[in-house]
Amino acid sequence: MIYDEPIFRTLGDTAINVEFGDESSIPLNFRILSLDYALREHPPKGLVETNSQVRTLGLVFDPLTTTRDRIVAHVKALIAAQGTVETLPSRRVIIPALYDDPWSRDCAEAFGVRNNIEYIAEFNDMTVAQVIETHTGCDYWVTGVGFVPGAFMSYAMDPGKRFGAPLYRTPRTWTHARLLNFGGLTSTIYPIRIPGGGQLFGRTPIEIFDLRELSPAFADGPVLARAGDRHRYESIGREEYDAIRAEVEAGTYEYRVEEGSFDCAGYVTWLAEIGEPAERLDPESTWEPV
Amino acid sequence: MLEVIDGGLRTTVQDMGRRGGQALGIPPSGAQDGFALRIGNLLVGNPPGGPLLIRDDPGAAGLEMTLGRLKLKALQDHVVALTGADTGATVDGEAVPCWTSFVLREGQTLACGLALSGARAYLAVHGGIDVPLYRGSRATHVSGGFGGLEGRPLAKDDRLPVGAATAAAEDLAGRRLRPELVPSYAPPMQVRTVAGPEEHHFTAGSVEAFYATAWKLNPKADRTGMRLIGPELSFRPGRPHYLIEDAGKDPSNIVIDPGAPVGTVQVPSGVEPIVLCVDSPSIGGYARIAVVISTDMARIGQVRPFEETRFVRITHEDAVAVLAAQEALIADPDIII
Repeated sequence: MIYDEPIFRTLGDTAINVEFGDESSIPLNFRILSLDYALREHPPKGLVETNSQVRTLGLVFDPLTTTRDRIVAHVKALIAAQGTVETLPSRRVIIPALYDDPWSRDCAEAFGVRNNIEYIAEFNDMTVAQVIETHTGCDYWVTGVGFVPGAFMSYAMDPGKRFGAPLYRTPRTWTHARLLNFGGLTSTIYPIRIPGGGQLFGRTPIEIFDLRELSPAFADGPVLARAGDRHRYESIGREEYDAIRAEVEAGTYEYRVEEGSFDCAGYVTWLAEIGEPAERLDPESTWEPV
Repeated sequence: MLEVIDGGLRTTVQDMGRRGGQALGIPPSGAQDGFALRIGNLLVGNPPGGPLLIRDDPGAAGLEMTLGRLKLKALQDHVVALTGADTGATVDGEAVPCWTSFVLREGQTLACGLALSGARAYLAVHGGIDVPLYRGSRATHVSGGFGGLEGRPLAKDDRLPVGAATAAAEDLAGRRLRPELVPSYAPPMQVRTVAGPEEHHFTAGSVEAFYATAWKLNPKADRTGMRLIGPELSFRPGRPHYLIEDAGKDPSNIVIDPGAPVGTVQVPSGVEPIVLCVDSPSIGGYARIAVVISTDMARIGQVRPFEETRFVRITHEDAVAVLAAQEALIADPDIII
């Protein structure tokens, strides 16, 4: 559900979460990103950093130079002045990927589970070929960047193509870097070798986190993804994977990043036209957000 | 310059951490027990840096040892101080005190043993460990491979550059923290928390159990997260079906949220609450029952495997007052005699 008024959650002495709802929703994320931009333009005194995610804006503040109540009042005023989000800065990034790759199979084997892409196919009543076709069939909206250095969360922009699979019950103790995976409906890529519970289905030859910062795509730092990016995956074969990988390692690969903006209002209208509900509700649930 | 003879169980270069990386997935890192490192820096005449998370002021870098065993040789004279866990350290076989600055002479060997009480010991050096800054800090983040010395723990034969001295060794040696301010790490550790954003997802009985239990530290604890062994906690029924589709059927699953700040206590599947520590992920997907106050991240960092921790709930306003009191203490020149 989407709350009538955002709930301000206190986290200890130095942070607040501004929570807009309890579900993942791209239109809700537009409001959060636009609030994040507004805060960058009009930062309240004592605001240290922001962390915008799919349904919540995280705020870290210095309680020795401001108070929680002052930050809350400032954010409430910005929300009241917000209005409809018309457009947002949004880059389009093409991500080549080798689907049903040997490294995902290797991880599955090492942890004694079946090839994850076969499980994803079965879970969604698809074939493996349909999994690949569906995942490459629409843009993914990056709702937020975080978790470990360079990781991001993204959701299929076409609700008809949104699918996924539940996380492992017991996470792996390691995962190869750059593996594509689903955690529920979230699609992401492990930037580095880390533990994790996502269902693995492919590997990209490009870097998602690169301390070398060789490409202009890393001009602002070691992280490729930005909240508000649109990602489009492209299925490639092993030969092309190896060729791109060699270029990436040599620092000569040209990342396919297109600067631009996105018509958020038009997207929300399109969702309404195709009959996508503005929020998800469960009338039988006794659940209360507070 | 210091030469590493033995890196110990795990020793990394740390300062007060890296600010502004949460929206990139870059954790603050820095000293898990910031109080101990900052006092060490004050003892040796270094800038102590600001408190965890909220200031762009990392202070001087020192070394953080997990459970000790670091062995170093000085390649020139350095004023140093050991704080935090007592490792029964010696210089060329002679015992040296904790929370007191002294001169480590050229050619002398400083040897730390296994921690006798507390879990993390700090070595501060006048001039600071002079590794390059990465995104505003010298703190090591091992899994990301950046900061500190090549983004990794110290190993035999490493050489640690030390910043230039700005004061005479004799003026800085023999300074100590007022003894009544030396923290005790005797279990059970009292750790103060503020109610978490999803406390209401837990049953009233489980919230009560969370505060009534003496939690034992899982020995797999590290700077990313500390898992605590104790009773299983349960969740209120009635989760909506769309949340099950979106986040998962386990009642502890929530749709990914900013996990900030460090200190968040998540309870995956109701089993073994995890206190997210200084190297933790910046977002999470499990219900958060509580948030450890920033000042007490130092305390949780000193709990040893299987030792007990008790959580004490306070208000946000009281947590801010605790932070203000700590900062007033750090700023008070009379704490060092």
